[in-house]
Amino acid sequence: MRFYLLFIFFLLPFSAYAEDFSQSPAWLKLVHYQGHSGKYTSSIDSESFFLSPQGKTNPGAELQATISLLEAGKDKEKICLFPARYKLLKKQGLVSAEYPKCGELEQFYEDLRPQGVTLLFTDAYMNNPSSLFGHTLVRIDTARKGTQLLAHGMNYGAFTAGQENSVLFAVYGLTGGYYGGFTVKPYYDIINTYNNIENRDIWELNLDFTPEELDFFVAHLWEIGHTQTRYYFFTKNCSYMLMEMFDAVRPELDLAQKFPVQAIPLDTVKAVYRTPGLVKNVNYRPSRQRKIEHRRNHMNKEQNQALLDMVKKNDWRISYLEEGEKPDALETAYQFVQYQYVAGKLDLENYRRQSFNALRARQKIFEKTKIGDEFEGKSPLLSHEAMRATIGAGYRNGKGFQELSYRPAYHSLTDNNYGLLKGAEINFLNTTLRHYDEGNKWVLQRLDLVGIKSLAPVDELFKPFSYTIWGGLERVFNPQTQQEGYVAGLKVGGGGVYAFSDNLWGFAHINNYAGYGGFMPRNGYLGIGGEAGVFAEVKDWRLLASVEKVYATSRMMDNLRYKAETTYSLSTNNAVALEYSYQQNHGKNLEESILSWRWYF
Amino acid sequence: MKKFYASALLMGAALLVSSPAQAIDSTGCGLGSMAWRGQSGIGPQVLAVTTNGTFGTQTFGITFGTSGCDPNGRVSGGTGRMALAFLQNNMEQFALDAASGNGETIVTLAGILNVDSEELGAKAKQNFAVLFASDNADAVDVTLKLLELAKA
Repeated sequence: MRFYLLFIFFLLPFSAYAEDFSQSPAWLKLVHYQGHSGKYTSSIDSESFFLSPQGKTNPGAELQATISLLEAGKDKEKICLFPARYKLLKKQGLVSAEYPKCGELEQFYEDLRPQGVTLLFTDAYMNNPSSLFGHTLVRIDTARKGTQLLAHGMNYGAFTAGQENSVLFAVYGLTGGYYGGFTVKPYYDIINTYNNIENRDIWELNLDFTPEELDFFVAHLWEIGHTQTRYYFFTKNCSYMLMEMFDAVRPELDLAQKFPVQAIPLDTVKAVYRTPGLVKNVNYRPSRQRKIEHRRNHMNKEQNQALLDMVKKNDWRISYLEEGEKPDALETAYQFVQYQYVAGKLDLENYRRQSFNALRARQKIFEKTKIGDEFEGKSPLLSHEAMRATIGAGYRNGKGFQELSYRPAYHSLTDNNYGLLKGAEINFLNTTLRHYDEGNKWVLQRLDLVGIKSLAPVDELFKPFSYTIWGGLERVFNPQTQQEGYVAGLKVGGGGVYAFSDNLWGFAHINNYAGYGGFMPRNGYLGIGGEAGVFAEVKDWRLLASVEKVYATSRMMDNLRYKAETTYSLSTNNAVALEYSYQQNHGKNLEESILSWRWYF
Repeated sequence: MKKFYASALLMGAALLVSSPAQAIDSTGCGLGSMAWRGQSGIGPQVLAVTTNGTFGTQTFGITFGTSGCDPNGRVSGGTGRMALAFLQNNMEQFALDAASGNGETIVTLAGILNVDSEELGAKAKQNFAVLFASDNADAVDVTLKLLELAKA
C-alpha cells in the first residue's frame, strides 16, 4: 500500500499546495534564499546543502527534491542532515513519513541539552584588525545542572588557515576568498578566549524563543553546521549569518534584509535587541582586565598598595591589611598574575609560584570578598549609531566654506563613547565634500579609507601600546604657493598614554608620514612628527587637542601643527563639534576653524 | 591512604581510556578549525603552549585554549570525563574558587557531580592543600581528588 502511494506521489505533478509553499517565507528562509520572486539565490555555497541540482536558485525544485527524499526514506544518511526541513514539512502536512533514528544528531542534542538561545556580543579587540568591530556568536543554553559554563557557543567564522597576519588575509577577507562555517565549543572555552585571553567583555542577550522555536533552531544549526559559505568580512560575515539563522526560526523577523550592504556586529545586535518580543534579558560578563580595574577603583588605598606590593615587589605578606580587606586584594593580585602570564610577561615558574602565594593566603581567610567582580557595565546597546552625517561651515585663512561628510562606520574619539571602548577610534570611508564661497564649486576635501586609533592609558599594572593608522586622500593646501591639490597619504604612529584622571588623558606619539601628490614638488614626501596632546571627557563634553612638529622632505609639509576638536553631545545620536587648527609653515600660516553638526543614524 | 591511591590510579586509567587522546590539534576543535577572530597577538602564544602538552599531563598554568575538547568540541561523556575536561580548561579559576570556597566553577562542578555546591565549596576550601598539593598539580590529579572529596 505504502509503495503504491509513493508511486502515485511520484507520478503526480508537484502539488499546487507545495508549489505555493515553496514561495513562503518559512521555506525561503530555511534554505537561506535571498532575492525576490523568480530570482532567488541561497546564501549557502555547499553543494551538499541542496538536494536538487537547481536547488541553489530554485526553491520549488529544492522543495520537491526534499519531499521526495523524506518520503522515500531510503537515504537515511542524507535525511539525517536535514532535521529542520523535516520538522517544517511535517508540520505543513507535506511529508508523512517517519523521521529515522539518527545517532549523531541525537548525540548532538544529548550533549547540548538545549534550553534556550543566547546571542553573544564581544566588544572590540584593538590588537586584531578583524576584531575591531567586535564579534557575535550564539550560545545554546543548556539544561544541564550547574551553570551555563556547560552550554555551547556556536561561532560562525572564516577558516583562515593561520593567515591572519598576512596581506592575503585582508584580500581574501574582502573578496570572499575564505569559506565560513560554524564551530562548536563549550561556553567555558569561549569565556576563556574572549574574557580571559583577549580581555574582551561579553554581552549575553537571552532570546525569547518558544520550546518549539528552540528545537527548530538547534535542528537548523545542525543543517548549517555541515555546510560552508563564502565569507566576506563586511557583508556575509559572522553577524549576517546569524540574522539568517534567526529568520529561519521566525520568518517574520526579516532581520537579514536589514543588512544588505554591511553587517556591523553591533548593528545586528541592536536590531535583535529592538525587535519586539525577541530579547528577554541582557547579561554582562566583564573581561578579566575590566574586573581587575573594577576592583582597583573600589579598593581603598591600602588594598591598592598591597596589590602593588604583591605583584610588583613579590611581597605577599600584606600584614598591614585588615582581615576583611585581604580577599579582594588577594583575588585581584591572583587575576593580575593570570593576566601577566597570558600576556607572556611572566614565565611559568614564577607564574605558578605567585599564583600559589595568592591562593594559599586566600585559603586562610574565611571572609568573602566585599567588592567582588559582578557589576553593571555600560551597554553597547545604548551606544550611538555607526553611520554619521556631518554638516558644517567654517573659515580657512579668512575664506568661508561649507562642508558635508558621510561616514559609514564607526566611531571617532570625539564621538560619544558610551557603551564603546574608550580611546578606540575606527573610521571607514569617511568622505568629506567642501564648498568655498569664493570658487563656488564642491570638491572632495578628504577621504579616509581607513583610520584607526587606539589610546589606552599606561599605569603601574597595564602597559598597553597606543597606535594610530590612517590611509586616505586629502586636499592639501600649500601655504607657500597658495595652491591646493590632492595627496594620497599614509600615517602610522604610536606611543603612550597617561591618565591624569579618568577624565583627562595625556598622550605622546611619534608619527610617520608618506604622501604622493602630483602637484607637490618631487610628487611626494616622507615625514616624521612628534605629537603631544590631551584627551578630556566630562559628561557630554569631549576635547581632543594636540601639538605636533613634523619634519618632512617637502618644505610644504614641514610644519608645526596645533589642533583642537571639541564636541558636545545633545543626545545619543546628535552632537555639535568645533574644530580649530593652526599650522606654521616657514613663515606662512594656515588657520582653519569649522563648526558642525553630527548626526548618527 | 594506600587504598585512595589504588582507586585513584584505576580511575585515572579509566578516565584516560575513555577520553579522546587525539582530540588535540593546533586548529582547535569543532566542525572546523577556529575561525576569524582574535588569534593574533597573545592568543597564538597561549595556544602554542597548550598544544604542545599531551593529554592527561595538563598541569597548572597551561590549560587555556582548546585542549581537552571532545572531538566534536562538545561537553560530553560521563561525570568523570566531564569533570576532567572542565578542570583542564578552568583550572586557574577553579583554584581561586577552591581557595575562597565559592564561585562559578564550584557551582558548575557541583552540577556535574550532582552534589550541593555550598558543601562542595566548603570542602574544597578546607582541603585546598590536598587538592593542590604543589604548584604543578595536574588536572587528572585534581579531578581524582575532587571526585573523592565530593563523595566523602
